[in-house]
Amino acid sequence: MRLRPFALAEPESVPEALEILAHLDGEARVIAGGTALVPTLRLGLVAPDRLVSLHRIRGLTEVHVKKGALELGAMTTLAALARHSAVSAGWPLLALAAGRVATPAIRSTATIGGNLCYAEAASDPAPALLCLDAQVRVADGVGERVVPIAEFFTGFYETAIAAGEILTGVRVPAPPDGARSGYVKFCPRSAEDKPLVGVAALFTLDASQRVETIRIGLAGVAPTPIRARSAEGALRGQSLTDGVAREAAEAAAAEAEPLSDIMGSAEYRREMIRVWVRRLLVALRDDRPIA
Amino acid sequence: MTLSLDFTLNGRPCHAEAPAHWTLLDLLRDGLALHGTKFGCGEGVCGTCTVLLDDEPVRSCLVLAARVHGRVVLTVEGLDRDGEPDPLQSAFARAGAVQCGFCTPGMLLSVRALLAGNPAPNEAEVREALAGNLCRCTGYTKVIEAVLAMAAGR
Repeated sequence: MRLRPFALAEPESVPEALEILAHLDGEARVIAGGTALVPTLRLGLVAPDRLVSLHRIRGLTEVHVKKGALELGAMTTLAALARHSAVSAGWPLLALAAGRVATPAIRSTATIGGNLCYAEAASDPAPALLCLDAQVRVADGVGERVVPIAEFFTGFYETAIAAGEILTGVRVPAPPDGARSGYVKFCPRSAEDKPLVGVAALFTLDASQRVETIRIGLAGVAPTPIRARSAEGALRGQSLTDGVAREAAEAAAAEAEPLSDIMGSAEYRREMIRVWVRRLLVALRDDRPIA
Repeated sequence: MTLSLDFTLNGRPCHAEAPAHWTLLDLLRDGLALHGTKFGCGEGVCGTCTVLLDDEPVRSCLVLAARVHGRVVLTVEGLDRDGEPDPLQSAFARAGAVQCGFCTPGMLLSVRALLAGNPAPNEAEVREALAGNLCRCTGYTKVIEAVLAMAAGR
């Protein structure tokens, strides 16, 4: 079964790609790895006249640490991210979440930029990047702007990227010293599924063992990946007792806006938020694997 | 719009021309008449179209043909050595890891990628590597036994 015919542009630089997008005749889509876009094309949900592939742009697959921050090119694959030694050492939460996406043959192809632009609510990397306060680099015809990840997802499969713009990279600041972090992906059916509920958490404890910095990112529980700000509020300044973890999990379940779909009902998702937020917090507190 | 592609296919230089909207799977099956790689779901879920691109497993139904230019592709047709089956293929045969055979090319290439990076995987690692290769005959147990036997030199 073939894809509907389209023309393909393979620019070799970001300015060249932007130039092509600025002078289009008809509908175009930017393609990164294609693991999300190609099935969408095959199903006929989008039917662009032209694809603009970023695969020939050197530099977009670069990963490096600059002034303590991780700089990821948009075309970095999730497999490359998951096995990169500097990422595993300094940003283990991101390496963990990237390594949990789908299956090896998807991670080898899917990119971090594509994952964000697809804006799937049940993304594994998104809640990790929310916890890490990442910044998304967006190029337009004039220059570059930086969008905080918390403002990047604007609606159901919608992002802050406008027509004619390209996501070129992601900047991830170093986590706070002594931060504990983890990601749990709950899939009731099959391990390679999207998460029914994905929970990422990152926190630090002060000298008296009270929660200081706290960030919780959730996937699959609202039209977009979200920060669980009420749950964070329930934890900040508190000792992380079982009771406080339970209250935070309740708050997360209350602030979520889950949808029902083929994977599970809204009620079930809300219940699983309750379970997995609590279990993740307690496991990180006790420095043990998640039950 | 036609692409002119030069790449390495199963150890040999290959030149091919393909329409811009072809996937790597279209190129292999319809452009090059290599029918070992199967079309299953077309959405990257079932794994039967898995081939190796620069030694990494990819879904050929999701990868645009344009992406192979200058790179190295391995399909099931490239596994045999001078007409003799690859040791992995022999291990599958010995363990009875093949029923209808439709998923087998993708399974073989996923395992090939696993063993290249990890010659002695444990069962959990084998299962993880094969998580994206579905078998509708439900022959997973024998497949996993085949891989573990091969890794153990049996």
